[in-house]
Amino acid sequence: METIKSYLDAMFANMPNTAEVRKAKEELFCMMKDKYNDLIAEGETENSAIGTVISEFGNLDELAEDLGLEEEVKETREREKTNPSRLLSYGEIMEYLDVTKSNGLLVGIGVMLCIIAAAPNIIIEEMNYGRTTSYGFVLMFAFIAVAVGLFIFSSSRGSDWDFIKKEPCQIDATTADAVKERKKDYKLTHAILMAVGVILCAFSWVPAIVADPDIFVAFMLAAIGVGVFILIYTGTRMGSYEQVLKINDKSTMAGTYGKEDVYINKAATAIMEVYWTTVTCIYLVISFITFDWETTWIIWPVAGILHKILKIVFTKEAVDGE
Amino acid sequence: MVEISSDVIRGYNDTIILSILMNEPSYGYEISKQIKQITDGKYVIKETTLYSAFTRMEKNGYIESFVASQDLEGNSKKRTYYRITEAGREFYKAKCAEWELTKDVVEKFIR
Repeated sequence: METIKSYLDAMFANMPNTAEVRKAKEELFCMMKDKYNDLIAEGETENSAIGTVISEFGNLDELAEDLGLEEEVKETREREKTNPSRLLSYGEIMEYLDVTKSNGLLVGIGVMLCIIAAAPNIIIEEMNYGRTTSYGFVLMFAFIAVAVGLFIFSSSRGSDWDFIKKEPCQIDATTADAVKERKKDYKLTHAILMAVGVILCAFSWVPAIVADPDIFVAFMLAAIGVGVFILIYTGTRMGSYEQVLKINDKSTMAGTYGKEDVYINKAATAIMEVYWTTVTCIYLVISFITFDWETTWIIWPVAGILHKILKIVFTKEAVDGE
Repeated sequence: MVEISSDVIRGYNDTIILSILMNEPSYGYEISKQIKQITDGKYVIKETTLYSAFTRMEKNGYIESFVASQDLEGNSKKRTYYRITEAGREFYKAKCAEWELTKDVVEKFIR
């Protein structure tokens, strides 16, 4: 059955992504599944059943004609001819994700080093009862030097993959499914890390209440540094999944690979898209107005539960009859 | 082995499908299976041909589609069924008459 699905995905990859075409694909898949199941029930082997189903499928030109899509299909073909999109293999995509992930880590560390570079100086000064020493400055420049090294290294490594952003590229449905799976697995960790990062930055001033003013700056820098590091790392990693899933031309059927969260209508999509931004705004506004930070956190769990409910209400039922 | 010419049969795919829908509403694979059975396997309609015919005839008002959550055997599976309309029946009759004429004419030249 996977073979049939891949075959159909490949056949439809360059078809325009319209409701009509999606329906056609779905209906054809249903017919092929029926035929396949029937052949298996008649005692055919899996391979010969797949062979029969594929050989009796026909061709899509005929279909394009009847759906009135000849123009679009021709346009897509022309575009492919003049500016062919590069098909990235599963291995290449996985390598790209790994490189981006570790680059996110390195850049994150680099930025953190820049942010906290001034901290050793403050601490050393504090320990020496206000006398300035050169150690602090040496450490500061060392931090910055390491950071620059990390930036150069990661950007030169990442430049091998620049074409992904510049040239039209394509991935197949199997790769898209694998990336989608990775994204799904990482989603919870991403949410937690985002929350931790934001909290570290937002509450970086808290040590000021307990520690003495000078050393508190060092702590604040440390908190912000770690927070920013976490945000950069997780943002880069999540961003790479999203970027890869969006790589296919949206106007073609290949643009539907690995898509999720299909909402029932445009209004629902709009609401879901701005949901977390809105919640964050509400949280900050209420918190700053009331200055009641000990209680306003309650907005987050409530918003989380509401999000779940909205998602269930707004999400369209999966079209695939698997 | 003589094979059926898809160019020749193309003009009659609609007639063939409508003939099957004259009996009862049906769905994609069921129709293609019936065509194969009735012709003793001499004509196997391609999936794309069948679906093209559905969309074309639905546009012309010869058939209507509806989604049934249960097939006729009672299996719960969502399927698109097609049923023939009054206009479809008229069209079918006209196509039958056309074929009689075509057959008569062509036959005169077959030796």
